[in-house]
Amino acid sequence: MGNKFYTPDGFCDTLPEVCAFKKEAESRIRRLFGLHGYTEIETPGVEYGDIYTKTDFVPEEELYKFTDHKGRLLCARYDGTVPAARFAATVYKNESLPLRLSYIENMYRFNQSGGGKQSEFTQAGIELMGVAGSDADAEVIALAIKTIIETGIDDLQISIGQVKLFKGIINQLGINDEDAQFIYNAIESKDSVALEKVATKLGLSDDDKQTLLMLPEGQGTYDIIDAFRSRVTDLEAISALDNMKEILDVMDEYGYLKYVSVDPGLLSGADYYTGVIFKGYTYEVGFPIVSGGRYDNAVGVFGRDMECVGFSLSLSLAITAIMRQGAELETVAADAIIGYDSSVKGARAAALSMAEGMRLEGTSVILDTTFNTAEELDSYADANNISACFFIDTVEEGQN
Amino acid sequence: MLTIALSKGRLAEQAIELLEKAGYDCTAAKEKSRKLILEDPSTGLRFILAKPTDVPTYVEYGAADLGVVGKDTLLEAGRQLYEVIDLGFGKCRLCVAGPKNLKDGKFDLIPNKRIATKYPNITRSYFEGIKKESVEIIKLNGSIELAPLIGLADVIVDIVESGRTLIENDLDVIETVADNISARVVVNRVSMKMKSEEIRPMIEKLKVQVDIMNKEKEQ
Repeated sequence: MGNKFYTPDGFCDTLPEVCAFKKEAESRIRRLFGLHGYTEIETPGVEYGDIYTKTDFVPEEELYKFTDHKGRLLCARYDGTVPAARFAATVYKNESLPLRLSYIENMYRFNQSGGGKQSEFTQAGIELMGVAGSDADAEVIALAIKTIIETGIDDLQISIGQVKLFKGIINQLGINDEDAQFIYNAIESKDSVALEKVATKLGLSDDDKQTLLMLPEGQGTYDIIDAFRSRVTDLEAISALDNMKEILDVMDEYGYLKYVSVDPGLLSGADYYTGVIFKGYTYEVGFPIVSGGRYDNAVGVFGRDMECVGFSLSLSLAITAIMRQGAELETVAADAIIGYDSSVKGARAAALSMAEGMRLEGTSVILDTTFNTAEELDSYADANNISACFFIDTVEEGQN
Repeated sequence: MLTIALSKGRLAEQAIELLEKAGYDCTAAKEKSRKLILEDPSTGLRFILAKPTDVPTYVEYGAADLGVVGKDTLLEAGRQLYEVIDLGFGKCRLCVAGPKNLKDGKFDLIPNKRIATKYPNITRSYFEGIKKESVEIIKLNGSIELAPLIGLADVIVDIVESGRTLIENDLDVIETVADNISARVVVNRVSMKMKSEEIRPMIEKLKVQVDIMNKEKEQ
């Protein structure tokens, strides 16, 4: 097979134009998070496997695993939430609540859709820890919307679901765990045929059957919540409806109602999430670019109980979307290049002082040491899109 | 513009027929040519003709918004899709089949079963997940019935429509892995949200046609 002098499956280089665009987006997002009082942390790229394998939050087969020199299991950072939860419960165990944490990091997953099937991708996300309630949920969803817009995407949709609505309805209809799992899968894939069959098998009344069938079908805002209102009696399900309504109210206050819709069939990751869940979509990528929700049990696993809600944006997917939506990336080049004739006494010193002067004013300057004629320097500047080119081959009296 | 991925062959023809009944102009899709993308900007529909096993991939990545594909292919591919309509045609079941003398419990007595199939993932999850045993899976791409006849495998896992191929080769169904295999409409999860104004009415219209079709069959 020869030497593998290329990148592994699922990993790739980021070229200057994309890299510049991405870093620029990262700094805008970092600033945005900061403006909302979220402080950035960096967690290690490698953690003990226990934080993932003993918590059941993520599928084990998607983790990059290896061992340290003592044979202990290590994992590459899979997400931002679990390390942040470990951090909040251990390093920050005495810190007063609420905590507002943010991260912009690369994540590593085997064959997973978080990065559009790339194994390494960048996520920007926040965690709001130690606050329950719809207002906290809404704060996070609003910031998710702002973050998407900040990357340069204006055509976006956020779907909001609630884990407790599904759980409450299952409870209300007296459905056992095995059937609930089947129903869960059917709703997840919007398979109303399978759903109808299982409803008939369970002998549900027409009315109850309809309630179940409304889960994968619905998409709207207040109308969807109202449609469920008259059908649910389970307290958990009622609280889920209240929660979604309150979130919509806050979205309205932000002027974000146009971006959000309620999808009662949105369930993915319901084992991990305990309340609201949401996903963000845009055109030209087949996977959600934002994923988030409330997971009140995640931090407790590490030893300190606290409510938690957060989101992550796949910056890698967002950038793919922006480019496919037709954005032109700016070419990356220095503003100016300065060369000098090394045989002329004092030319180097003059070039150096000129370059330093321009850099102080914020102009990016290459001080060239390669070319000995103005023509050569000119053609190099042309080839590399450098607009200003100076060549110093005479030095005035008194300058040296 | 909606992009629809069709499984080349009979399934594509039936899907087009149904779309036409539902009021969609599919003239472009019926064009007899070797083109792989058939498009009519005036109707807002673009068809791509793909190998059946590739349809779930096109739809999962969002390269196509919708697809029409057999449930067997969907089960095997295990992609994250919305599976919105059972079209009812292309009906068959997925079975374990083998020599007749393996019926009546004898099949279960074979240790370390060798199984030939086009569906390694379904076969693995059936034997490991449901029957709780590990088996040797031999992936083949066609004429699966040959494998037990020639001694390559003990049994096969394959789709059975009428059962005629099995009978003509002295094979029989031993166990059913999944029944109710038929053509399904699948939708990309993002398209469902971002293009819901086009996709949802299409689903509704197709469902109406499927109901009519099913009622005609019953009569």
